[in-house]
Amino acid sequence: MGSIFRSEEMTLCQLFLSSEAAYNCVSELGEIGLVQFRDLNPDVNAFQRKFVHEVRRCDEMERKLRYLETEMKKDNVPILDNGENPEAPQPREMIDLEATFEKLENEMKEVNSNAETLKKNSLELMELKHVLLTTQLFFDERDSEPGTSITQNLLPAEEGKGPVQLGFAAGVTLRERMPMFERMLWRVCRGNVFVRRADIQQPLEDPITGEEVFKTVFIIFFQGEQLKTKVKKICEGCRATMYPCPEAGAERKEMAQGVKGRLDDLSTVLSQTTDHRRRVLAAAAKHLRTWFIKVRKIKAIYHTLNMLNLDVTNKCLIAECWIPTSDLGVIRDALRKGTERSGSSVEPILNRMQTQLKPPTFHRTNKFTSGFQNLIDAYGVATYREVNPALYTTTTFPFLFAVMFGDAGHGVLMLAFAAWMVIREKALIAAKMSGEIWNIFFGGRYIILLMSCFSIYTGIIYNDVFSKSFNIFGSAWRINSNATVENLEHWEELTLDPANREEYSGKPYPFGFDPMWQIAVNKIAFQNSYKMKISIIIGVIHMIFGVVVSLYNHTFFRNYISLVFEFIPQMIFLIGMFGWLCIMVFIKWIMYGAGPEFGEERSSFCAPSVLITFINMVLLKKEKEDPTTPCKVFMFEGQYILQLVLLVLCIICVPLMLFPKPLILKSLHNSKKRHHEQQAIAQNGELGGEATTSGHGEEEEEFEFSEVFIEQAIHTIEFVLGSVSHTASYLRLWALSLAHAQLSEVLWNMVMKIGLSQSFYTGSIMLYLIFAAWAALTISILVLMEGLSAFLHTLRLHWVEFQSKFYKGEGYAFTPLTFKHIVSGDEDDA
Amino acid sequence: MLDSVFNIDCGYLEGLCRGFKNGILKQTDYLNLVQCETLDDLKLHLQSTDYGNFLANEASPLQVSVIDDKLRDKLVTEFQHMRNHAVEPLGTFLDYITYGYMIDNIVLLITGALHQRPISELMPKCHPLGTFEQIEAINVASTSSELYNAVLVDTPLADFFGECVSEQDLDELNIEIIRNTLYKAYLESFYNYCKSLGGTTAEVMCEILAFEADRRAFIITLNSFGTELTNEDRKKLYPQCGKLYPDGLAALARADDPENVKQVAEFYTEYRALFEGAGNNPGEKTLEDKFFEHEVKLNVNAFLHQFHFGVFYAYLKLKEQECRNIVWIAECIAQKHRAKIDNYIPIL
Repeated sequence: MGSIFRSEEMTLCQLFLSSEAAYNCVSELGEIGLVQFRDLNPDVNAFQRKFVHEVRRCDEMERKLRYLETEMKKDNVPILDNGENPEAPQPREMIDLEATFEKLENEMKEVNSNAETLKKNSLELMELKHVLLTTQLFFDERDSEPGTSITQNLLPAEEGKGPVQLGFAAGVTLRERMPMFERMLWRVCRGNVFVRRADIQQPLEDPITGEEVFKTVFIIFFQGEQLKTKVKKICEGCRATMYPCPEAGAERKEMAQGVKGRLDDLSTVLSQTTDHRRRVLAAAAKHLRTWFIKVRKIKAIYHTLNMLNLDVTNKCLIAECWIPTSDLGVIRDALRKGTERSGSSVEPILNRMQTQLKPPTFHRTNKFTSGFQNLIDAYGVATYREVNPALYTTTTFPFLFAVMFGDAGHGVLMLAFAAWMVIREKALIAAKMSGEIWNIFFGGRYIILLMSCFSIYTGIIYNDVFSKSFNIFGSAWRINSNATVENLEHWEELTLDPANREEYSGKPYPFGFDPMWQIAVNKIAFQNSYKMKISIIIGVIHMIFGVVVSLYNHTFFRNYISLVFEFIPQMIFLIGMFGWLCIMVFIKWIMYGAGPEFGEERSSFCAPSVLITFINMVLLKKEKEDPTTPCKVFMFEGQYILQLVLLVLCIICVPLMLFPKPLILKSLHNSKKRHHEQQAIAQNGELGGEATTSGHGEEEEEFEFSEVFIEQAIHTIEFVLGSVSHTASYLRLWALSLAHAQLSEVLWNMVMKIGLSQSFYTGSIMLYLIFAAWAALTISILVLMEGLSAFLHTLRLHWVEFQSKFYKGEGYAFTPLTFKHIVSGDEDDA
Repeated sequence: MLDSVFNIDCGYLEGLCRGFKNGILKQTDYLNLVQCETLDDLKLHLQSTDYGNFLANEASPLQVSVIDDKLRDKLVTEFQHMRNHAVEPLGTFLDYITYGYMIDNIVLLITGALHQRPISELMPKCHPLGTFEQIEAINVASTSSELYNAVLVDTPLADFFGECVSEQDLDELNIEIIRNTLYKAYLESFYNYCKSLGGTTAEVMCEILAFEADRRAFIITLNSFGTELTNEDRKKLYPQCGKLYPDGLAALARADDPENVKQVAEFYTEYRALFEGAGNNPGEKTLEDKFFEHEVKLNVNAFLHQFHFGVFYAYLKLKEQECRNIVWIAECIAQKHRAKIDNYIPIL
């Protein structure tokens, strides 16, 4: 039996690996990914384990690779991803790898530091160029106004002192620092300096961060030595760089020429450096992914080796691992291969162990079932070898969804999306799109595909396509064959009465709802009655099925007490109460109806309410026949007696679920204990004082009667009350389907209809716009939001109503050592 | 502030802060850390805690200073994140926390400038939480009034500077006085601000700040013995928002030797306990450590209340203590001086 029905059978194995072969064996096991190692030294610190040194070397290598990766990303060098899966290298190859990475890192660092100094130089030269340019402009401005030279004294020169020479300093600072700079200059120098500024228009590159920054050239005029030192200090404090700027125009020009020449030289050198850097990176980029995979594999292997026990002789490592029993052969092969690769002569020994430990749950899934399995695992991982609801979920889930999301038009939209994801599957996986929401949709592509197919099916049954109906087979109704405009107006009030044989042909529409209902006033009343009943019927069948599945669990685990005292009473209770309710619905559907073919007693007027009958059954109320009408309270003779019998049966079931099981368990436990004691006495008599070790690891579970009883009571109450509330809960199938149909109808009437009912040709333009609105709303609200809501309700119906009947979900998942995620590039490794 | 509306503005940040607090190292982590043989072991163990891969991109062999920087960077990133998301009045509250670091930075830079050290060499030593735009221009000033007029007048510290403007040249003692006066004004202002916020914030923060004020008063007194600081000057430096105010401070101002200080502490139950167990002999804890322990206790207690700002302050302080602990352990490991490795202050 495939493991989709029950989880795979697991064995705990002990594995003896000779120390030289251990690495290769674990590497092979990682490639097949079917072995879950147990940590045998849980109390040893991470840094006190045996192979911690190797793990650390891997960390170091990874760091270097990450450094290279960031450098590549900085330069937009594409990293080659050819999807190949290199084997984990031998431990001795690690040194080669380390050396390669070391060399690359050093080369990179050298290139970077060179580039940085070059860039810094070029930045300085650029700044200097700008300083010279702006000061030039500034001085030109001054010279063009003869007589108002800035160095000219405003006051007449004092006797004997001569004109005071103004000094000046020029430099460059960040534009955003400028206001602060000016303010501080003003404060410290008490307004005795004169500042001119000019923004550099093009951004300059910061040599360290590589970001583009905007800068401003300033020139400060001051007088005297003291102010000069102060200005200098402030410039330093504000990280402004000062540049020498000769006062004479000719010198400035000469300097500008020189700077330009140097800049040209520098840019050639710089471009050569960047070329070299790109070449180095491009060469490394070809191997980067393989390197990453190799290093991560080595790391994973050493992590695993750290979990193993060392033999006393230091000759071999002992591992304990969980293995799927059916894969023992594959694993033996892998171990043999590993030994061969390492060249060791000692075969590894694989021993199956007897254990009381709870094995992990392992479901083999494929791309189709994994989505459904995830839905189940989100609730709880199945207990070991319990029946796996995922198998049934593959059909019931999309079906229940579709009952709520019954609209063929919306279904087609969804189908288009799902089909696109499924058809382009490989390309989409390769594209490695990130984004949580996308991953959720993509992971559930097969669920969406099935959901949409089922939606189309139920949509056709409901005859709903964007809230409109198709008339494929010809309606069974013929209303006023002489239709006029007045008639059409009148049709707003159209009520369909199947008893009226002038309008109704008597032969129902062959498949699904008659399209005529779409325009009838009593459509809702008609559909509600149908959908409500259908939901209850689906629900009861679903729940009964759940109880039946529990039978498989009971027989599989040989839990015959539960089979007799849980499964049978549960079955009787569920069928006796709610199964009967469903049967009554069918009887009513078959026996009653409108029209001449049904007698007066069986007319729709006389049809009894199933709900009232059911309530009266439980309350033991017998309604009086009304002599004025020909109607009968019961649908057939002896119904009352049958109901009474069913009710009594159901009531008997309740104590049957509650009492026997804990009592039997108690007596079983007592007899077992007595047996043990007798054995112990007997053994003691025979063997003297030798202590009994027969039951190794068979720890006797503490038996607390009150606990068991309370648990059973809770289970019973949960089941009895639950079956009422769960049945009612399935009414959400009707409620959501109603809501969905109504919403889409409202959207059509309020939006699309406006566009369609325009009588002028301008309406065509309006329709164009209105269609866009209608389409957007349809997709966002009706397909996305309503779809999500229906999805969540379906999920609830499975988790709560269905799985509560049989599913425990107390297991833990099988997490084998595997290199898969390393190869696929997921980051979250151990 | 009404507790019921607290979460509208600050609920997210409080939750975040409590989440960060849960990542603080436990006693078991410390027990593992002190067993480490090398700094790489330390790194390996820290990887399994909330610190995660914060050292992953550092080349081996590790330096203690690198660890210290990275620890601080992480804390600062977390704090900045919270500050960036904060709305008033939490924003002001968080800003207030940074003022303390600004004071330390200013003092550090001035002292450095006095010893003719270039600013660029000093800047990396400044705490990143306490930087401001004008900070690098600080060596323009040679007197405290210049410092105020040129640099500090635009910073939030301007309000605290009022008392120490003078034309005296800056020297070691002067700087120390400036630091303490600034700190006194800062603490008192912070205290009053918390009080004005009211509610649980006031309740929790005033307790912590009062202890901070008293600790400063004690330490100033103890450190002043044997210096030129007069009793009168000393009295001006005591922050007046602690439990010692006013009687205890007056008594401290009269104290002439450590024994007198101890006598003052006798009158206050919580401080008596601190002074009693303290000593410099081996096996005894120093007074400083005792104070730290008490501070940790107060900060941990802050997390017992909900809907208040104290958690942000407490978190920062606890995390700082943790950084000090890790650095201490790292230093002990690096210098192979394991005897004192247990002298860290566990965070309960």
